[in-house]
Amino acid sequence: MIRRRQALTAWLFLTPAVLFFVLLFFLPIGNQLMTGLYDADGVFAGLSNFSRAFRDPEVLHSFLITLAYAAGTLVVGTAVGLGLAVILNQSLRGRTLFRSVLLIPYLTSVSIIGLLWRNILDPQVGILNRLLEAVGLPGQTWLSTHPLATIVGITVWSGAGYTMVLFLAGLQGIPGLYYEAARIDGAGPWRRFFAITLPLLAPTTVFVSIIGLIGTLQQFALPYIVTGGGPGNATSLYAHRLFIVAFNDNDFGYASALSLLLLIVVLILSLVQLRIGDRADA
Amino acid sequence: MRERLFPGDRVAAYVVLVVLGLVTVLPLLYMIVLALQSDGEVQSGDPVLWPDHLQWQNFSRLFEAAPFGRFFVNSFVMAGAITVSHLIFDPLVGYVFAKLDFPGKRIAFVAVLSTLMVPFFVRMLPIYSIFASLGWIDSYQGLIVPFLMDAYGIFLMRQFIRPLPDELIEAARVDGAGEFRIYLRVILPQCKPALAVLGLFTFVFQWNEFLWPLIATSRTEMRTLPIGLTLFNQEYFTQWNLTAAGALILFVPTAIFFVITQRFLVAGIALSGLK
Repeated sequence: MIRRRQALTAWLFLTPAVLFFVLLFFLPIGNQLMTGLYDADGVFAGLSNFSRAFRDPEVLHSFLITLAYAAGTLVVGTAVGLGLAVILNQSLRGRTLFRSVLLIPYLTSVSIIGLLWRNILDPQVGILNRLLEAVGLPGQTWLSTHPLATIVGITVWSGAGYTMVLFLAGLQGIPGLYYEAARIDGAGPWRRFFAITLPLLAPTTVFVSIIGLIGTLQQFALPYIVTGGGPGNATSLYAHRLFIVAFNDNDFGYASALSLLLLIVVLILSLVQLRIGDRADA
Repeated sequence: MRERLFPGDRVAAYVVLVVLGLVTVLPLLYMIVLALQSDGEVQSGDPVLWPDHLQWQNFSRLFEAAPFGRFFVNSFVMAGAITVSHLIFDPLVGYVFAKLDFPGKRIAFVAVLSTLMVPFFVRMLPIYSIFASLGWIDSYQGLIVPFLMDAYGIFLMRQFIRPLPDELIEAARVDGAGEFRIYLRVILPQCKPALAVLGLFTFVFQWNEFLWPLIATSRTEMRTLPIGLTLFNQEYFTQWNLTAAGALILFVPTAIFFVITQRFLVAGIALSGLK
């Protein structure tokens, strides 16, 4: 009797959530599966939208540069975030302030970040080249000569603080006892870092990498604002390509197929992460 | 005892931190300098660090050049409504999963959590098509409805409510309190710190949201601030001073958020594991 009342209460309280997740998550995803099977004229096309993606040079290009963007962001971002976390895990004066200041870009609108850096990097009116010239270094045409690397740089700048927070949580799980024992055995700081910190942080590093990978594979706004995908299509990442197919070419069937391919990749990455997480818990 | 890096490492640590701290903050401070320059200074090709005369009128010029007041209101309505909705539904659903027993609970919970894995791109196109046929493009409901609640917030609230003692609920039941009353009077008042974190983060992230408002609006007067500013910059691309003034307005909630949360910001993010 009480159990039945509780079940009734539970489902009553859940009703808005059930409606929301069915109508705005599960039905759209199902709809996406259907739409992916039709061509631009609404004619049933089977799996041709999917096979088309693998032969479309523009999609393949966008996929490859997205991988390069993801790899660059992952390597540099993880190194910077880990370094900051190790430094800020010590008891330093002003630690809290440094930690939170480094997080400001993470809370800042991508419009501000994109537009601000476009101005700073501008070869004519930007301040960065003037600063470089002032110390005797040559100015660069950042966004025309190294567009993708520059986008990676801006991404790392805006995400380093968040990566740092994730690593800080991981560092707090390492018992201080290990370090003391290593010190008594005469292990130096680098030795302690490579023999204790790095191996024990492995689960955190995997977690940070996969979270980062899932995020960068979906990156849209930053290159859209900074370069508009250019020059040419040098920074037209996968998500930007998808956007163009959907809203410039108005080919929703093909865009749906592209979004489902993205979903498959993200699902695989998420499941890998869940499995590794389970193993770490066991 | 905390791990120390090197003997005498303090100086090295501070040098790294100060340099990276400046690299983080200086571009944002430069935005203020940029916003107060004259057109001549900003276009001269010789960037100035301190304008001759602080051009406060850049802000009023901005509001004359484009409907930034309207953009601000649109952003505020969108982020505000979504935040209120999260504060209503996330704890309610979190409470059900934390404290109630019912058939189908496991499946329902897994279903909610599985939505964390879905890229926005996957639901964006069908939602756009449906909203277009409902006439919801260029409307507030169109901006708001896709984000009424989410699995992050629900999970955060569930984790917070789970350790609360069951005896509180049992006692209220024995006293004959209705189920909703128990939630409202017994559980919710205990959740204030978690609700504060949830509300602040939801507001700032929705205020900054870019992709959906870009797609869900086409009329200038329905644009939100991040979109309005980006489009403004495309049109007035030489007037970086005005763009920077607009960026400062867009930055206001982040600044307020930062001041409020500075001391528990890191703990808050680690706790919620947001995005």
